[in-house]
Amino acid sequence: MANERKLGLFSAVIMGLSGAIGFEIFALLNYAYFDLAGPSMISALLFCGIINLITMFSYSELSAALPEVGGEYTYTKVAFGGFISFMAGCLRWLASIFGGALAAIVFVNQLEVIFSVFAPSIQDLVLANASVLIVGLVVILIILAIRGVEEATTLIVAAFLAIFIIFLAMSTIYNLTPQNIVPEASGKSLAVFFATAAYIFPMFVGMRALVAGAPQIKNPGKNVPRALMITTILLTVVYFAVAYVAVGAIPLSMPRTAGDPPLLNLAASKIIGPVGAILFALAGMVASVSSVGTAMMVQSSILGGMSRDGYLPKVLEKAHKRFGTRYIAIIASSLFVIFFGTSGAVVFLGYAASFGSLLVFALVNLSLIQLRRKMPRLDRPFKAPFYPLTPIAGIIMSVLLLTFPVILRDVNAESALLSSLGLVAIVLVTYYLRMVKREVDFNRLRVAVGGISFGAGVTLIVLTPVIVPPSLFIIMIIAGLVSILAGILNILTSARKID
Amino acid sequence: MEIRRILSAIVGVAQGVIGVLFGVLAVMLVLNLIEVQTLFNVPPELLPLCLLILGLFSVFSIISGFFLIREWRGIT
Repeated sequence: MANERKLGLFSAVIMGLSGAIGFEIFALLNYAYFDLAGPSMISALLFCGIINLITMFSYSELSAALPEVGGEYTYTKVAFGGFISFMAGCLRWLASIFGGALAAIVFVNQLEVIFSVFAPSIQDLVLANASVLIVGLVVILIILAIRGVEEATTLIVAAFLAIFIIFLAMSTIYNLTPQNIVPEASGKSLAVFFATAAYIFPMFVGMRALVAGAPQIKNPGKNVPRALMITTILLTVVYFAVAYVAVGAIPLSMPRTAGDPPLLNLAASKIIGPVGAILFALAGMVASVSSVGTAMMVQSSILGGMSRDGYLPKVLEKAHKRFGTRYIAIIASSLFVIFFGTSGAVVFLGYAASFGSLLVFALVNLSLIQLRRKMPRLDRPFKAPFYPLTPIAGIIMSVLLLTFPVILRDVNAESALLSSLGLVAIVLVTYYLRMVKREVDFNRLRVAVGGISFGAGVTLIVLTPVIVPPSLFIIMIIAGLVSILAGILNILTSARKID
Repeated sequence: MEIRRILSAIVGVAQGVIGVLFGVLAVMLVLNLIEVQTLFNVPPELLPLCLLILGLFSVFSIISGFFLIREWRGIT
């Protein structure tokens, strides 16, 4: 039975840790340390842990009160219904797509680190064929996901913790004391600090796996909130310690070259030697494979749920005749993973995954407030402490983290935020195309699409002389004129039919 | 009205085709087929943004073209 409650507190903590400890630590610390905050990245990690803990209070209350399958999608559905839950489901799906793509890139990077130790000549080959390797990895995992292969999660968590403990234990031989781990009290430093926190935030969000697994946990009213708290504290301590040692081992003043491995691999190599570099690279590869696999299952589960509720085409819910997995949803999501993974844009994907998760966190906190007002008599085995301060603080922190990277004009953050907003616009249109039946609403939608088409056409004509090569000038101008004409026709036809 | 329906058909089909072509261009950009990134002089850090703009333009062009074709075929 899929929903049989058989897991205790220990298993629940392992479930949270296996969701959270993963490839992100290999992917995100590099840019955060070398390009953003420097040593104060360590404090940013602590700050992320606090924000995560605050939102986990909301998750705990909601998962204890509504322990059904679906997590965020279910909470927002009960609290707000309709569009907001659809939006939460889509954002969660997108964050999972971006995370899966990032994990595929990390896999290739770590493979490159291994070859740099054993066979430097093959390292260049790996680098040159990164896109092919990413596509190959995802295709293999699609086959495994469709066949319903389960992961050895406990083993992976145990191996990770063992490697980190060896790393920390061996670091005691050296006197590692990183300087300037607290950001300066200036506007610029604090803005960089918040931007860094936003960038590394995906390191924590994976522990939501615990919420998704709540239906399998015994006595969820007690065990889920406890497990969430314990996991958050353990995770923050482990990340803080590992980052502290890595930053101490590799000071910013140390000369670097473009082909250097990521921060953690560098630090492992310095503290443990070549064996350490290989151990960390293997751990990074295992974590990446595990994360891409998990992301596929999460994506198929979200698409299947939204398809079941009528928001998406029924075909996405279709199960494989032999293996019983949602193979069409798995293949559809994996195409997006391949698309973003082959772009190789690590920083963009880091921000994009973070922004999607932060928006979901804000919606979960809003759901908590709405449910306390809408359903005051709902049985709540756990209540978020200091209500309403905790959910409000969670919302404010999420918005702050979304804003600061953009204020700093980080081009990757701007692209990621614009992408997220653009994809939200597509979600909006998809929702109305699927759900709006009445003629007046259809005509309103058509006027809106006509307006967008008109605006896009004008923008294209204005920007064409600046950004398009002369050989494509005429084609782009024609495309712009067609968009303007289409916009006018759509608006004129439908505007008359609206009261 | 007949002229307008014909105009809707022509513009709708043209816009749909443009939308599909922009989608194809986005795929070519991400896979860098025929060195298209160099051809358009797209810096790597702006690639995701270009993909987003092309993707959005493509999606909205296809939807807008679809509405016009619906009108031509008399579906309201």
